[in-house]
Amino acid sequence: MTHRSMPAPALAAAAALLTIGGCTDEIPTATRDELVQPGVAVEVTLPYDDFVTSTAVHGGYGRASQLGGGVVAHEFGPGPDEEGVEGPGLDAATLVRFAQFPRTITVVDSAGTNRIDTLPAFESAEILVRFDTVGSILDGPVEIAAHRVREDWDPVSADWDFAVDTLGALVPWSEPGGGEVEQIATAVWDPAAGDTVQIVLDSALIEEWKDSTVTSRDVRLSTNDPGVRLRVTLVRILLNTVPSINPDTLVRLPVATTAATFIYTPRPRAPGDALRVGGAPAWRTIFNFNVPRFLSGHPDLCDALGCPVAINADQISYAGLQLTTLAGSPAFAPSDTLILDVRMVTAPDFLPKSPLGPSTLSRRGGGILAPEVFRPPAGHVVEIPVTELVRDQLRGEDPAGGPVTSALALLSILEPWSIEYASFAGRTSESRPSLRLILNFSRGG
Amino acid sequence: MRAIILTALLALAAPAPAAAQSFLGYRALGYPVFASDGRAVGTGNLGIGLAGTELSASDPAASAGMLLPTISLTMQPTWGTFEVGDESGASNTTRFPLIGIGFPVRQARGVATFSLAGYMEQRWAGRRTDLIDLAGRQVLAEDEFETSGGASVARFGWAQRIGPVVSVGVTAGAYVGRLEQFFERTLDTLNVPTDVRSFNEERRWRYGGYNLAAGLSLDPHELVHLAGTVEWSSDITEHPRPGTRGQNHYSIPLRLSGGATARLTPRLAMNGSVAYQDWTGAEGFPDGAVSALALSYGGGVEWTAIQAETRSLPLRAGYRRIAPPFRYGTQDPVETVWSLGVGVNFVELEGRRYGWMDLAVERGSRTSHPLTERFWRATISLGISRS
Repeated sequence: MTHRSMPAPALAAAAALLTIGGCTDEIPTATRDELVQPGVAVEVTLPYDDFVTSTAVHGGYGRASQLGGGVVAHEFGPGPDEEGVEGPGLDAATLVRFAQFPRTITVVDSAGTNRIDTLPAFESAEILVRFDTVGSILDGPVEIAAHRVREDWDPVSADWDFAVDTLGALVPWSEPGGGEVEQIATAVWDPAAGDTVQIVLDSALIEEWKDSTVTSRDVRLSTNDPGVRLRVTLVRILLNTVPSINPDTLVRLPVATTAATFIYTPRPRAPGDALRVGGAPAWRTIFNFNVPRFLSGHPDLCDALGCPVAINADQISYAGLQLTTLAGSPAFAPSDTLILDVRMVTAPDFLPKSPLGPSTLSRRGGGILAPEVFRPPAGHVVEIPVTELVRDQLRGEDPAGGPVTSALALLSILEPWSIEYASFAGRTSESRPSLRLILNFSRGG
Repeated sequence: MRAIILTALLALAAPAPAAAQSFLGYRALGYPVFASDGRAVGTGNLGIGLAGTELSASDPAASAGMLLPTISLTMQPTWGTFEVGDESGASNTTRFPLIGIGFPVRQARGVATFSLAGYMEQRWAGRRTDLIDLAGRQVLAEDEFETSGGASVARFGWAQRIGPVVSVGVTAGAYVGRLEQFFERTLDTLNVPTDVRSFNEERRWRYGGYNLAAGLSLDPHELVHLAGTVEWSSDITEHPRPGTRGQNHYSIPLRLSGGATARLTPRLAMNGSVAYQDWTGAEGFPDGAVSALALSYGGGVEWTAIQAETRSLPLRAGYRRIAPPFRYGTQDPVETVWSLGVGVNFVELEGRRYGWMDLAVERGSRTSHPLTERFWRATISLGISRS
């Protein structure tokens, strides 16, 4: 018998067909109830003792100077704090340190050419103060006083009682609230007329401060009008300057601050049982979670699946930490939206200085709380999403395979966020925190 | 031999067998794959009883006359539409339902065979939208379920010619393959907090079980060829892969099949085949899922339009009526298929093919109320023999 070899075209055809074969694929899809057994979605709310082993409130995170602005207040919000302990009103002052006055300026001469003037004359000057009209609480015009601060102070650590409050040095003011001060001038801020006030400086002070060898151009801004709390967003000096090159022209030169902070009294008392978040320096609440891996006792769940039901991370579609708001000290009551965050405490043994895991809410939102929920009588239930962290705990690792701990920190999204803080009912309250879970289970197709 | 190796490599490089696309059997093992080559498809044959030497997954004795090592590959692109209730849609896919290898062992005067053939496959997706009660609130939930995969049978066999009239063959096979199911639920975020994640669950199984078949073919007259096969199967088991729970067992009933070819003229042959498999007693399936119909049959003609010294070009036509084992609803499904085919036998000597390409085109439909599916299907087979 003879045989012939397989023709090359046939092999080529085979290769082509095999290649073409994998080109298209369209799966038939129909919207029919019988094709999909519906999953089971159940919402359960775990009481405090079922998912929390302990809570703790730690304070002192960040400094007032990190806020980037200031606060001015006087006898604002006396009254009980979230645990009923009476407190005096808030007194707060803003401390600023101004930069050197400019020694040269650039002006346009009569020929239209830019020239450097080394002999400018400062005719007058005023301190311009800008307020946050939304975040300030006042009933009408407020007199703002500018005092010269004579004592040296540390812009980072200064507070009401100490001019310097660092680990290696503790220097009290000669008098609390900025030491002995010398009034420069006053001015009335009328919020109806705008968001700024200008405090005129006298010529003697201008003369002294234009000397470049002077190192202290420090001012305290405060008020004696009771019942106000003002947010300061900007402070600068405006110099009304006459150039020697072109004396017919008046130039306004700004002098910025090189440092700013605010000092206040009284310091909030550490809560006993209540939970607290925010403030400056900031408070954090630490929850030690222990999310159960089996659930029972929830009728909806047991009716659908039988109990106990084992749960895993994939079945958690949503987890929300439910907190009941408390009306805290009026002095520190939120006047603007608070944005909270939840982060894993990566080294609980090192609390309160433990580092934290990444933010879980900054990209997704969910931790935004309106100030109204903290106004007396409060008692509103708010919900902070903790889905990722609960899933991580059930999974035993984070999505990247890293270790997880049982400790979660509830904190403001930036520390400090404001002088105001949020208070929530704690363990001994009738409105203790609870955990809302939305669980999904499939039953296949 | 190098051509065979080359073609085998091509087969390995080709995409994995895609799934059949039908909603039939969505409650069971899926839709049966018709694992036959282009010649059987074109002539309306059920894969048994065609005259001549064949590499067939369903006719163990068909390879008995093979003289040279041979490999054949079959590819099936399919374009389908479906109507279910008042909903309609389309699908298309390409699959490789059959790979066969025969290797004559001269000392034993027999042929060792291997085949990898599709058996049951399922690939479809379903959606549903519903209002669910979540802690007293009505929340819109969208569910999607997708299933993909199927079982194939890998068979090793032996075919032996006993005298000029009788041939016998046996195969022993194992079920292989996988099944993947994906479920996703999305809750309407308008009614629940913004941070709600969709729920996803993926489940995977691999198929297991084994299969034995024995076949007999007879050539009592030079114009007549007869064949019969009995095929027994263990349960098919779905073994869960890591992360998946639940092992499922399905019993597979005995399958009996037979076929015959009669040569009417030197260039014209007629064939008929029939298969019987009664699924009504099969276990492991939901109530009402299996069909009460057990009989499938088909038949057709093959006319050699061109016959040269070593080459030929046969034309084919056929009809098949299949009883798929699983229903969609409560009605027993029936599939009817008309087919046309053409073969190009590049090398043919003394009635044996050593290099060929078979093409077939089918137009078929299947119904099981409320489902109706229609399809165009092409089957392309290539076969190569080398010493």
